[in-house]
Amino acid sequence: MRWGGLLLALGGALLSAQDVASNPFRGDAKAADLGKASFRLRCSACHGIRADGGRGPALNRGEFAAGDTDLDIYRVIAEGVPGTEMSGYAARNSEESIWRIVTFLRTLEASPDDTIDGNASQGEDIFWNQAGCGGCHRVGSRGGRFGPALTRIGRARSTEHLRASLLDPDQDLPPGYYAVEIVTRDGQTIRGIGVGFDDFSAQVRDAAGQLHSFFREEVRSMSREFTSLMPDGYGDSLTDEQQRDLLAYLQSLHGEEQ
Amino acid sequence: MRVPSLCSVFLIGTALAHGQVDQVTLRAAQQDDESWLMYGRNYSAWRYSPLDEIDTGNVHRISPVWIFQSGVSGKFQTTPLVRDGVMYVTGPSNHAWALDLKTGRELWHYSEPVPEGAVGCCGKPNRGFAVKGDRLYKVNFQATLVALEASTGEVVWEVELADYREGYSNTVAPLIVKDMVVVGIAGAEYGTRDFVDAYDAETGRRVWRFWTVPGPGEAGNETWAGDSWKHGGASTWITGSYDPDLNLIYWGTGNPGPDLDGTPRRGDNLYSDSMVALDADTGELRWYFQFTPHDVHDWDAVADPVLVDLEVDGEPRKGLIHANRNGHYYALDRTNGEFLVGRAYTEVTWADGIGSDGRPILIPGHEPTDEGTLTCPGLGGGHNWHATSFSPLTGLYYFNSSDGCQIYHSAPQDYVQGEFYFGSAMENVSGEPREGSILAVEPSTGDTRWRYPLVSPPSSGLLSTGGGLLFAGTSEGYFFALDARSGKPLWRLRTGGRVQAPAITYRFGGRQYVATASGTAIFVFTLPQ
Repeated sequence: MRWGGLLLALGGALLSAQDVASNPFRGDAKAADLGKASFRLRCSACHGIRADGGRGPALNRGEFAAGDTDLDIYRVIAEGVPGTEMSGYAARNSEESIWRIVTFLRTLEASPDDTIDGNASQGEDIFWNQAGCGGCHRVGSRGGRFGPALTRIGRARSTEHLRASLLDPDQDLPPGYYAVEIVTRDGQTIRGIGVGFDDFSAQVRDAAGQLHSFFREEVRSMSREFTSLMPDGYGDSLTDEQQRDLLAYLQSLHGEEQ
Repeated sequence: MRVPSLCSVFLIGTALAHGQVDQVTLRAAQQDDESWLMYGRNYSAWRYSPLDEIDTGNVHRISPVWIFQSGVSGKFQTTPLVRDGVMYVTGPSNHAWALDLKTGRELWHYSEPVPEGAVGCCGKPNRGFAVKGDRLYKVNFQATLVALEASTGEVVWEVELADYREGYSNTVAPLIVKDMVVVGIAGAEYGTRDFVDAYDAETGRRVWRFWTVPGPGEAGNETWAGDSWKHGGASTWITGSYDPDLNLIYWGTGNPGPDLDGTPRRGDNLYSDSMVALDADTGELRWYFQFTPHDVHDWDAVADPVLVDLEVDGEPRKGLIHANRNGHYYALDRTNGEFLVGRAYTEVTWADGIGSDGRPILIPGHEPTDEGTLTCPGLGGGHNWHATSFSPLTGLYYFNSSDGCQIYHSAPQDYVQGEFYFGSAMENVSGEPREGSILAVEPSTGDTRWRYPLVSPPSSGLLSTGGGLLFAGTSEGYFFALDARSGKPLWRLRTGGRVQAPAITYRFGGRQYVATASGTAIFVFTLPQ
């Protein structure tokens, strides 16, 4: 698409949202049922089957990061959130379908705010020093590249998801962060992040950042494990207070310069 | 095992002497090495070619001779047709091409816009042309059937099968039977009531319709609670097969709607998830066999109905074999639908085998719930829709399988025209990746002879050849060949695009070629000269 066309398309999307300024299904129980079905199909993979969060934020708290009106929620679904994994759904769903999802979200009982009562400043110190998170994770231009970048993680993940990822890293692996183990013909074991793994080859990045690439017939074995390479045991090595501080720091990471 | 009796030498000779494709030509398609004339290659849906120039000893030497880049995005799931030096290819979103078989150069390009409001569950793919006389036939996504001049791609006629605004769509490759174009339909995920249709190939006039969900007063309607039949689904989105001697068309049907919530449609929900045998002249139902009564897991039965003569318990049988999405392999008697064999080929947790009456022996506790129920196989199967292959050379039946489980959730949902009518959703099991395999199965028993593991759920169909080869593709973009007897990998090429189509093969200029769609392109391979 040429830029002119793209601008027109974006303009059209914004105009469309403005045109439908009020929810035509507000309080309609049948529309909410339909919205629930649509939500489960299209949204639950990230936001959880009960809208209680996962890779995406929880949507059952009665508060929404991009604004709390029905139109605010409509816009987020229709247009997405730049800089996050939330893409726009206007091209794939009718306006009515999106409004039904909004109507469903409005039926959810507001659950308690899960904002962590911790000290983000102390959490930052724990992140870079005691816990050693920065050895593998990057925030802005600082830190390692072995694990996922966390520059915007407070915006992209619910606090509950962050807590689960800290205490049980295997529970929900980020896309592209599974483990691959190669045993070469001379018995050397290479273990790292699976950059690629298919029926005939594997590409592995080890902890030193070195990329290794093999065809299956060149090695003794290659295997893939859907377990995290992140060390476990943070539940034991950090006190409850330190965990809260660390989570508060992660929750504060919204992509701004640190 | 015996293979079906073939047409007489006289008939074959007559057919090959003419350039036009007619019923005689199509009945002899299995012997025509220079063409690929229908979706499953022959009426029995074998997808096997006796060509043996490319074999287990030299397949590692094949390489591309031309690549056609379509420039059209979307899912390429087409089976190309080959005839008289031209390849005819359909693409997604109502595109199609004729390509010069020698060079790959485009000869013509047909396209028609997909109207706004035309919806489908799974993209806008198309699975291929049918050919008769000088005409090609294809469906368009907005539930129409179009006839094109093969030489120019110009439209001869186009008829509406159903109203796309009600949720109907179409992706199936038509099947020519006598002077008719037989087609299925899609739309069960939008609460449509589906059918198999036959149209006069010359005029486009509808000859007959078989509703896969019977209406009031028709046998089977009592298997639907209340008015649930009106939105009962049972789509027919994969091409069937045809036995000219029995004059029967066999066609698989899909899930009842809503997919995961069975509460509004108590009963067996005939003829969803069934194999139906239809009189070719009238479309009347001769027999049916329902694989998954009252399905609540979206386990369509649209996979190829493959016609093979079997020996079961020492008795010769005219068989119909089928790898079902519910995790079981089946063999039926194609003269009357009698159940012969039912064997699990992947992990199955919802049934404790298939009873002697052909019904699954249900294990309680596998209905989807609001909280979710873990069941194997997952929603896509088992074997889903991808083209299968039967090789008379090895006597084995080849099909792929998604292996793994999913968590099924249900929720009540009223029907609204144009809205997805699914009844909730499924979840993957954390930490348990869904993988896949290609299987070689003994048709008379369902015994698995070998299994080739895949790291991802399968994406392509299969082709077996007289060279002892089985061709397949992967989600990661590999097109590869296995030894059909052992499953040993012999050759591969990373094509750079997801392989979602089955391969074909043909002879041209005295040499064997193998072709497949991959990504948004067509690749053609042969041995070096």
